[in-house]
Order: sequence, then C-alpha cells, then structure tokens
Amino acid sequence: MSLKAPPSPAESGRGRGGRAPRPRSRRSGIARLGPLPWIAPVILLILVVVIWPIFELVRTSFLNISIAGIVRGSAGTDKYKKLFEESDFGSVLVWTVIWTVVVVSVTMLLSLALAQLFNQRFPGRRITRWALIAPWAASVLMTAIGFKWMLNRTAGVLNTLMLDLGIIDNSRDWLGSSSTAWPWMMAVAVFVSLPFTTYTLLAGLQTIPSDVYEAARLDGSGPWQTYRHVTLPMLRPAFLVGVVINLINVFNSFPIIWAMTQGGPGYDTSTTMVFMYKLKETDIGESAAMSVVNFAMVVVLVLIFLKVSRWNEED
Amino acid sequence: MATGAATLAMALGLSACGGDSGSDGDGKTIKVVAADYGDKASNASKLYWKDVADEFEKANDGYQVDVQVINWNDIDKQVKNMIQAGDMPDLLQTGGYADKVADDLLYKADDVLSPKTKDLLIPSFAEAGEVDGTQYGIPWVSSSRVLFYNKDILKKAGVDEPPTTWDELADAAKKIKSKKAADTPYALPLGPEETQGETMMWELGNGGGYTDDSGKYTIDSPQNVETFQWLSKNLVKPGLTYPNPASTDRKTAFADFAAGKVGMLNGHPSLIQMAKDGKVDYGVVPIPGKEGPLESTLGVADWMMAFKDGGAEQEGVKKFLDFTYQKKMLAFDEMYNLMPVTTDALKEMQTNGKHKDLEPLFEVLPDAKFYPLGDPAWDVISAEIKKTGGKAATDDPKSVLGDLQKKAETAAADVK
Repeated sequence: MSLKAPPSPAESGRGRGGRAPRPRSRRSGIARLGPLPWIAPVILLILVVVIWPIFELVRTSFLNISIAGIVRGSAGTDKYKKLFEESDFGSVLVWTVIWTVVVVSVTMLLSLALAQLFNQRFPGRRITRWALIAPWAASVLMTAIGFKWMLNRTAGVLNTLMLDLGIIDNSRDWLGSSSTAWPWMMAVAVFVSLPFTTYTLLAGLQTIPSDVYEAARLDGSGPWQTYRHVTLPMLRPAFLVGVVINLINVFNSFPIIWAMTQGGPGYDTSTTMVFMYKLKETDIGESAAMSVVNFAMVVVLVLIFLKVSRWNEED
Repeated sequence: MATGAATLAMALGLSACGGDSGSDGDGKTIKVVAADYGDKASNASKLYWKDVADEFEKANDGYQVDVQVINWNDIDKQVKNMIQAGDMPDLLQTGGYADKVADDLLYKADDVLSPKTKDLLIPSFAEAGEVDGTQYGIPWVSSSRVLFYNKDILKKAGVDEPPTTWDELADAAKKIKSKKAADTPYALPLGPEETQGETMMWELGNGGGYTDDSGKYTIDSPQNVETFQWLSKNLVKPGLTYPNPASTDRKTAFADFAAGKVGMLNGHPSLIQMAKDGKVDYGVVPIPGKEGPLESTLGVADWMMAFKDGGAEQEGVKKFLDFTYQKKMLAFDEMYNLMPVTTDALKEMQTNGKHKDLEPLFEVLPDAKFYPLGDPAWDVISAEIKKTGGKAATDDPKSVLGDLQKKAETAAADVK
C-alpha cells in the first residue's frame, strides 16, 4: 500500500553487491520475486473466482445434502452412480452432442457466407453491418422469450402468420413436444451466435492482403478456386477462434432452452446443462456431479479440438 | 456461464441478508419469510404482512417484525440458500414443511402456539401437519379442488348435465369438439407447475393415489397406470385436450378458461375470481371419478413453520403467531378468497354471506385427502413428479410411473 516504488532489481543488486560478500544470495526479497508482486492480485482473483469454485463444485459432488439444504455428510461416489443410472441420462447426452454440433456447424456456415457478403462494397453496407449487431446486443434471454411468445400456440404471431399463409392448417404447439421444439431452439441459438461469428470471420477476411488475390487472378484462378485455395486457408486462425468459442458457448448454453421449454416435457429437450439445473431441484449433490462431468467434457472438447487443429497445421 | 452469474447473484443477495440479521441479536426482531399470493401490485402479500407487522409492533412494545415476501417460483430456492448460509428465518410460510423436520430445524407446534390458538385449527389440517404423530407444520390456508365448467360452452355443445363420471366427461368433451364449442374441451395441465395435483385428482377417481394406507408409495400401482392409460386413450389421443399436456402449465389452463377457450377443468378457489374477471359463466361440481364423483377430493394446504435457529426468542415467535392466527387470519383468507384453516374463520366465512361462491368448495373440504405431506421425503418426490410425471399421459405410463416409484422408494429410504 506504500506509495514508494520498490527498488528496481538492478539497482539494489548492484548496491548490495558492492558491500556484501555473498551478493547472489542477498539478492532475495522483492527482487527475487520478479514480477510476482505485480501479478499477484490477478492470481489471487483467479484463485478466488475460478479455482475455489471448481474446488467447491467437486467437493459438493461428493456430499450428501438434504433437500432443505443441510449437509448430511459424505456421499462417496453415490451421486455419480445415481447420475449415471438416471434413465434419461443417455438421451440427454446424445441430444447435447446433436445440439452442439448442429448449432455450431450451421452458425459457421452461415457466418462464412455473411462475412463474405459484408466484406463486399455495396451501398448501405454500414447500416447492415450495424443491424447485424442487434441479435448480439439484445439479451439472449430476451430473444428467447420473444421467440417463445411468437411461437405460442394460441396467440403467437408466427403461428398466425404461418396459418394465414397456408403453411400449416391448424395452429401448432411448436415448443410443446421435442420434435418441433429442438429445431426452433436450434434456430434461435444460431440466430444469437451469428453476429459474433460473422464479425470474427469478417475481421479475418480483412487481414488477407489484396496482393494475394491479385497474384491469384494473374495466375488465372477462378472465384471458387480462389476462395478454396486462398481465402479459406488464410481465414483459418479466425475460423478456429470462432469454432472454439462457439463450441464452448453453445455447449454451455442455458437461457435459450430454459426460457423456451425448461427442458421439458420431462427431460426431452434438455442438454446436460439444463439437466444439471433441473437435478438441483431434487438433489444438489447429483447436480454438482453433473456439473463436474460437464466441466470435464468442455475441457476434453477443447483439448481435442486444439490438438486436431495443430496437427493439421503441421501437416 | 449464465448459471454461474445467477449463483453469484444469489450469493451476493445472501450476504446482504446476513448483514441484516446482525441487528436481531437481542432476540426481539422476528424475521418472517412468506410466499406471495397476489397476482398484481394491489393485492401483493407484502401489503397484508406489513399491516400485520405494524399492528403487532404497536400491540407488543419492543418487538420488531421483518417481513420478506418472495414469489412462489423462487421461495424454495431462496429458503434453501438461507438455510445453507445458516441465516434462517424465524417464521416461514410456504408450501411444505416435512423436509425441514427431517433435518430437525423446526419447533414443534406446541412450542410456539398457545393452547387457545392450537384449538382453533381445524383438526384434519392440524393432523396433516404431523410427522410421526407430532405436529410441526401449522396450516396457513387451504383449498379444495372441484370441476369447473363453462356453462355457455356446454350448452352450445348440447350437454345438459355436467359430467359425474369419466365416461360422461369424455363424452361431453367429444360433443364440445364436434360442435367446435371451445378450443380445448377439457384442459389437462400436466406441466411442471402442478403435475402432482392434476395427477392425484385423476388417480383418486380410480381408487389410486400416491401411498397406501400404511404410507408406502404406490405411484405405479395398477389403478394409477390404468388412470393414465384411460387419459391417453380417451382425452389426449382423440385431441380432446392440449396436444402436449406434459408441457402445459396450470396457469395456461386457468388463463384459457378465464378467456372462455376451455370447456371443463379441475380448479381451485382462485379460478373463481379469474372466471368472474373474464366474464365467464361458470359452474362447479365435484370432480368426476371412474364410476361416480369423488367422495374425497384433493385438499391442499400451505404451511407456517417456526425455525429453532432463527435468532428471535421463542416467546416472541409465539406471541406473533397467536396474534396472527387469532386476529388476522380472516383478513388473509378474504383477501385471496382462499379457504381458512381455523374454525372461527371458517364459521365466519360460511355465515357472513360474502362467500356464496365458495359454498361448493366448503362442502367437499372436510373429507378432502392430502398429499403425503408428513413424509419428509415427499418434497423430493413431489419435485420428481413435477419434472417427469406428466409424460405418463403421452408415453408409456408403466415406465414413467415405474421410474418415479423407484425414485420415491430411494428417497424414502434416504430420509429414514
């Protein structure tokens, strides 16, 4: 808390070196800590905000906690056993994979096209670029609730519109059963993921120097060839960032599903994230076990992805 | 990430509460946490509680009453957080109590009620507050369930008499559908909000229910499975109710009835006011069973309970409860048109002529059956039923109910 700056390592080292017989060992203290005092607050923050909750999470998953909230002692691995024996656990896992893969791949494909579009010069480009931010700027929860009401069976504007256009012949309860709820929720998830991904790719596109394209043109490369052999490889870093961040975001996505179906009926539209939240109502320990599994899956997912992408790079 | 933020927010909220409780070290501050029964600002429960607190403080010098009113969706979670943080309220008014008895958190009713107040409680409700023969839960308000029907819709469909059996109900629903008299002939809300209620009302009609006489769980009994097979075959598949009952909540059903879009549904007292506001000409009859109307319908009670470690002195809590139950009970029941749990308030409401519309519900109240409220495992089981029970009407009832039965047995074994 002192305002006085600590002596610089070089200065104090030289000063002591002149008098003391063992200069090297006397160079301890603040100097030997190097940059530690400066990054210590950050490390502390990470310990408190990241490491400690993870520790507590893992600890909770081995506890027996009553529904009223009292810790009744250790549960060993019972909660994990209970979790894996849940009759819906398997289908929740499968749907989590489908949800993540579908949303991320559709988002990436659409964003590639959109980024390409926004990279062209056309009148009104500035306005359309701004407009793209809207789904991003609006709260995800708000967007999801908006879609939920638009899809409402009796009063929803989308239902009425489709009815009037003759697309459907009677109003449908889109979010009531999993077969129609999943596609709608995936559509909303893509909708809210597009802006970030598109901007990431757009930034990537703008880093590609124009002389590369010029060279390609001189060599007689067609537009599709240019895109495949020049644009895509040079877009790789931006593309990878987009995929990794979307993977984590979509896998962990909670508000869309919670606002639109609450994971129901039963667990039919739950991902592991929603499943974890619903388990909390009956067993906190089991819910924590699900969280640990979730955490492990995200870590593995990212590690595998990074490994695969680096392997490609070396190729 | 969103849940992380929510947890953090809750944690922050909790620490704020923790700061408050520091002031009641003298035991003179009574902290009350209660559920909000209101549906708009003008009838929010905090108005009622403020009034109670003010009058109590005036009559009892030195005491201070802190009331926190929380909406139904959040109250259980928030109370759970309070308990985990060791910051318990002195009094809690919510939907269930037995889980807290299992953890030995509550005073016995005898410890916090004067004999005079205890005698006021209607015996069947007082009994429903018992765990293994000792009363912990103090009933707060009650309601009984009846079948509501829209008179205009039934007339338009050519149904002269409201149904008394399942077959008559299905028949009436069929007529409503073929005459296009209503969007939804019978509203079957088996969504998470009240699955356990609608389920029990139907199961009672077939001699089923959640437990047998000895208190053992019988969730997948043949009668219960048969009930859902009937529902699926006669109401869900022919399109005489919502297309996805398992994801339709009771509030949707009530709102649809009040909007004149529903022919029949099972309801409780608050539907009366909603129907009146929606200008729906409604009638009520006892809930139809398989062979005839239910002899005992579903009765529901909400509960008051006193925590041992709330911080206020026991004498003050007792004074506050005596004051509330003896002087302010009727005001709450009349405010929400709910049914009383004390004999004096019941007598007053039955005789003062202001509650004619509750008459049919009073009639079925004395014989009403309750959930297994006194079982400390019930809260877990009820939560499980809310999550997946509704699927019994659309999927295979045997496997859905069988799964719940297994969970119930595990939960019951856990608390022993």
